[in-house]
Amino acid sequence: MSHLSALTPRDRALAFLRERWDLVALVVLAVAPLCIPALGGALGGQVTTLFIYCILALGLNVMVGYTGLVHLGIAAFFGIGAYCYAILTVPMYPFQMRFALAAAISGLAAAAVGLALGAPTLRLRGDYLAIVTLGFGEVVKVTLRNLEQITGGMKGLNPVPPPGAGVRLGDMDLGLAFAVDPRWFYYLALLVLAGVVVAMRRLENSRLGRAWVAVREDELAAAAMGISATKVKLSAFAMSSAVAGLAGCLYAASLSTTADPNAYDFNRSIMVLCAVILGGLGSIPGTLLGVALLVGFDTVLAPWADAWIQQMNINPTGSSLLSFSGWRLAVFGLALILVMRFRPAGLVPSRRLAAELHEVHG
Amino acid sequence: MTPRAADPPALVGSVPLLSLEGVTIRFGGLVAVSDLDLDVPEGSIVVSDLDLDVPEGSIVSLIGPNGAGKTTAFNCISGVYAPSGGTVRFQGRRLERAFTPSTVWSALAVGLLTGLLFAAAAVDVDRLWQAVVKRGMITDEPFTLAGAADRLHGYFRAELAIDQMAGKWRIVSADGSDVLAIRRDLAEARAVRNELQAAVTARRAGPGTVPDATDTEQPGAAAGARVPLLHEELLDRLAAGKSRDVVARAGISRTFQNIRLFSNMTVLENVLVGLDRTIPGGAWAMLFRTPANRAAEAAAAARAFEALAFVGLQGDANRIAGQLPYGDQRRLEIARALATGATLLLLDEPAAGMNPAETSALAQLVERIRDRGLTVLLIEHHMNVVMRISDKVAVLDHGVKIAEGRPEDVRRDAKVIEAYLGGEG
Repeated sequence: MSHLSALTPRDRALAFLRERWDLVALVVLAVAPLCIPALGGALGGQVTTLFIYCILALGLNVMVGYTGLVHLGIAAFFGIGAYCYAILTVPMYPFQMRFALAAAISGLAAAAVGLALGAPTLRLRGDYLAIVTLGFGEVVKVTLRNLEQITGGMKGLNPVPPPGAGVRLGDMDLGLAFAVDPRWFYYLALLVLAGVVVAMRRLENSRLGRAWVAVREDELAAAAMGISATKVKLSAFAMSSAVAGLAGCLYAASLSTTADPNAYDFNRSIMVLCAVILGGLGSIPGTLLGVALLVGFDTVLAPWADAWIQQMNINPTGSSLLSFSGWRLAVFGLALILVMRFRPAGLVPSRRLAAELHEVHG
Repeated sequence: MTPRAADPPALVGSVPLLSLEGVTIRFGGLVAVSDLDLDVPEGSIVVSDLDLDVPEGSIVSLIGPNGAGKTTAFNCISGVYAPSGGTVRFQGRRLERAFTPSTVWSALAVGLLTGLLFAAAAVDVDRLWQAVVKRGMITDEPFTLAGAADRLHGYFRAELAIDQMAGKWRIVSADGSDVLAIRRDLAEARAVRNELQAAVTARRAGPGTVPDATDTEQPGAAAGARVPLLHEELLDRLAAGKSRDVVARAGISRTFQNIRLFSNMTVLENVLVGLDRTIPGGAWAMLFRTPANRAAEAAAAARAFEALAFVGLQGDANRIAGQLPYGDQRRLEIARALATGATLLLLDEPAAGMNPAETSALAQLVERIRDRGLTVLLIEHHMNVVMRISDKVAVLDHGVKIAEGRPEDVRRDAKVIEAYLGGEG
């Protein structure tokens, strides 16, 4: 730590930010709803969606980032989690479970489907695996649409009750609080996101995380180290799907509907994949930043800018050339091209941890 | 560098750590060679009937001109290829993926899951759901598992059921596709349904019953004539090409001719991957960072630093492996292989591309490895290294072993000289 004292306060602050960006971000996000009243309105819901996408992207990062398996169908597992949660909680079905139990079961169900997809595709690599996952995503979407008796077809399942429905906290109905004030959901999503980040970081720096990266780097050499590529890849499939399923169940709960199956299509998969690549494959802060930029642009900035243009009366005729969302995809594409041109490893490339030199005993 | 005294005792009369018996490797047909860059004519024999013993605690070198089949023999020992003929024994055992209960259970679990998904799709899970879950919700009675099981049973026996539609009760076929009657009152609907069901049941039991399918007995199913379920040949085929990690876990570790480090990981992490199987604890322990998990990771890191210090890379632990100089990458590969806790180390041209000083240091390193009690099987083109450190040398030419013995005998062998310098005629 002695080297820090020689630095200027500004450098020290920057170093602190770099080391503990997670804590700083957590504190800022936790305090924000208390200071920014807008988060009690529509903005709160949008930011919650952003957190949910962050969780989804962290799940995808396990497969694409750590293990190097191209996955174009992550939205399918998002959908499986959402529908599973909805089936377990909606009043029209007999289960009507509590949030935590239903969320755990949805995560496990998504992991099980992930394993079932992973097992037959273990020998596929690169483009071929991409095609299979792409196809699987479409299969899930169409299945959700056609199983009308279970999933409600294009109507989706609703109303999905808010978490804590029927739970009383003093003389306050927790479910009602969730339904009325988006900040409750904001904090729940933030809490889950923080939990997922902690879990991912622990896995990253443990045996399993190293095995994931080793298989990505060189499967043959990993096998020569006694690592079973089969098990390692399957664990990546399962972990990735479980986290995506968890994100899906938060999504359904926050919207209080599963929305229609088209919400879980290829576009969503690609959007999340782009966020992970843009931020930096295999990097947790990179993934979070990628989602904040791409999805944040889409769900927070674009509506806000549109509202502002309307308010300023810049675009009285309603021409799409003068509305911000008309240019949404163009900005999106341009940003991707620029980042890939100037920072091909992503905005925050994965950084391998520096370990202190240990004493060698004996 | 001290000259070694006489022959090491390991050469005399001990059980060889590794033994190859009549190993033949043939490429062509359906053998996958995509993992390694090999350019072989179809159907060619790369290694032919190779016998080789590696005594414990010795350094044995495998030499020969380019294309003699040395690396292929290595790949066979480390499980990248299954031999086309012959056997490889390590500590007297053949290394194959063990057929354990857990293999069976995991295969069954994955099979069951996949089977369930397909079965669900095949029985029209949508209608099944309607029959079992939704019909349980239309009356005010609480949903019970027994009730659900009852409706499931009824669905598969194609019994009539009661559905609700727009406030009216409908008597429908099990899959809900045919509506037989509509009533306003639930009790009345139930009565009608029971009546109709009785009629249907009577009709079904009517003319012609299905013959019993039990009279076709399997011949030979009687006592005796028990065929062993998995004989050796079948096991061989099951294990073929799938046993790389099994080989490594048995205690054989290797380096590669073209360096195969995990080049985007740090030096330390490369060694930790080598230590992978020695670190206890499962996924939950990692997720919750249990004290045991922490202790295991710390102990592994200490052992990794020890392995790095052994090859002289202790100062580079945090560097990215791919950015190390070439010679250091070679040494890191050796450290990684040592970390697996192997008893037999296969080194594939460890001195390739090294200058004389580095080569000499490497020869010392290999000797220090042997002095730790490990056994080394070495492929090398630097003859001074081979002749200086080997306890035994085997020479391959065109896949056939042409000489074997102590270095000083081999270097005088006429066939070896001919293989290296070319024949006279």
